[in-house]
Amino acid sequence: MFFLIQFLILVVIFSAQTTFLENFSIAGVTPDLALIFVVYCGIHFKGSRGIGMGFTVGLIQDCLSGGLLGVNTLSKSLISFFFSTLKDKLMVEGLFPIFLFIIAASLLDGIIFYLVLVTLFKGEVPGSFLFSSLPTYAVYNGCVGPVLFYFLDLNRKWVLRKFPNPYLRQS
Amino acid sequence: MPRKGIKGKRLITLLSLLILLSLVLMTLNIKRDQSPFFFESLIITILSPVQAVFSQTVSSISGVFEHYFFIANSARENSELRKQVDQLSREKNELVERLNQQERIAGLIPNEEPEATQLTVATVIGRDATQWSKVVFVDKGTNQGVHENLAVMTNAGVIGHVIQSTGTTSKVLLITDSRSAVDSLFQSSRVTGVVVGTGRDVVKMKYVPMNAEVAVGDPILSSGLGGIFPKGLRIGVVSQITKKKQGLFQDITINPSADFSRLEEVLVLMP
Repeated sequence: MFFLIQFLILVVIFSAQTTFLENFSIAGVTPDLALIFVVYCGIHFKGSRGIGMGFTVGLIQDCLSGGLLGVNTLSKSLISFFFSTLKDKLMVEGLFPIFLFIIAASLLDGIIFYLVLVTLFKGEVPGSFLFSSLPTYAVYNGCVGPVLFYFLDLNRKWVLRKFPNPYLRQS
Repeated sequence: MPRKGIKGKRLITLLSLLILLSLVLMTLNIKRDQSPFFFESLIITILSPVQAVFSQTVSSISGVFEHYFFIANSARENSELRKQVDQLSREKNELVERLNQQERIAGLIPNEEPEATQLTVATVIGRDATQWSKVVFVDKGTNQGVHENLAVMTNAGVIGHVIQSTGTTSKVLLITDSRSAVDSLFQSSRVTGVVVGTGRDVVKMKYVPMNAEVAVGDPILSSGLGGIFPKGLRIGVVSQITKKKQGLFQDITINPSADFSRLEEVLVLMP
């Protein structure tokens, strides 16, 4: 049941991301729900299971984009690895810490994307577009992050109550 | 302490594995042809019905708000008129192009008929899942004869070309994507250039010489070179021209004719 629920969450997140989220774009930038979900999984999944989810989310995102396959797999894996490894040392509770950590994750995401493309496609990378959009992208994600965290938290508590499992952390 | 060491080694192994897997994916992606991997087809097949439902729902809701609550009948009328204007604009453009072509080739190749192009209507069911590329998904795939390198347009103008197809869906790379390039020409002066995406809502026309006579408002058409876009399809109009003192080419910004924020139904040009 746990896996079915995670599957449904992914379906909803990616369906929203690829359909109506465009209507909420600011200066051509839309929030990245997949990235926020990866950060959430890194923090709230037990052990290194969040990393597996980061890899999966990145791979799905690559399949649903026109970019190079593997770029998002790499960036989302690294972000989930970072949060999964440091979750016991970080205090990601409350609006402001979530806002800040998601901004950091967004910047990391954009930088990894840029570095990979610069390495593989020298001279064909729209650096100016990426760097002009990156601050808006990061702040927008930071603002949407706490809202999505709130709903994911409600879901996590419900899942733990109804279907106790070894994958989710209690707090 | 030893336990901590083992955990650290395990994490480093995991990290290396993730990086390695990602690099393998990228390498395979660069080396393969345009056909999708099995997991790409699987994910798109699973998600496309849900995307279609989401798109239809959103379209219906926004339609209700737009047409009934805010500006009642005028919105619907306006929408119809816009479609008509787009249609007429496309027809006029086609006729002007055909006339120009006839004038140029009259007498040289008598009785030559232009190649008939078959159009397939497809519905946009989703957009790119990332910020960094401009792609839309349409509900027609190889089962309907849609395959890679077919031009896609609306009545208003070119929007892009198919880059990947599964049985029931296709990915369309928009002309606004930074990897897109369309060989083009100015309708009036016939000067050629290449329209490239910027990642934003506008596109740029590159390689237009400094001495070429170009004005704001000039229409841009596809030149037919490149093998994907037939000649004479409307791309957009010039919105800004910058001539730098040093440089060989003009910096030309173009407003695409198609409205990329409101893509619903598109036309795939079948050969």
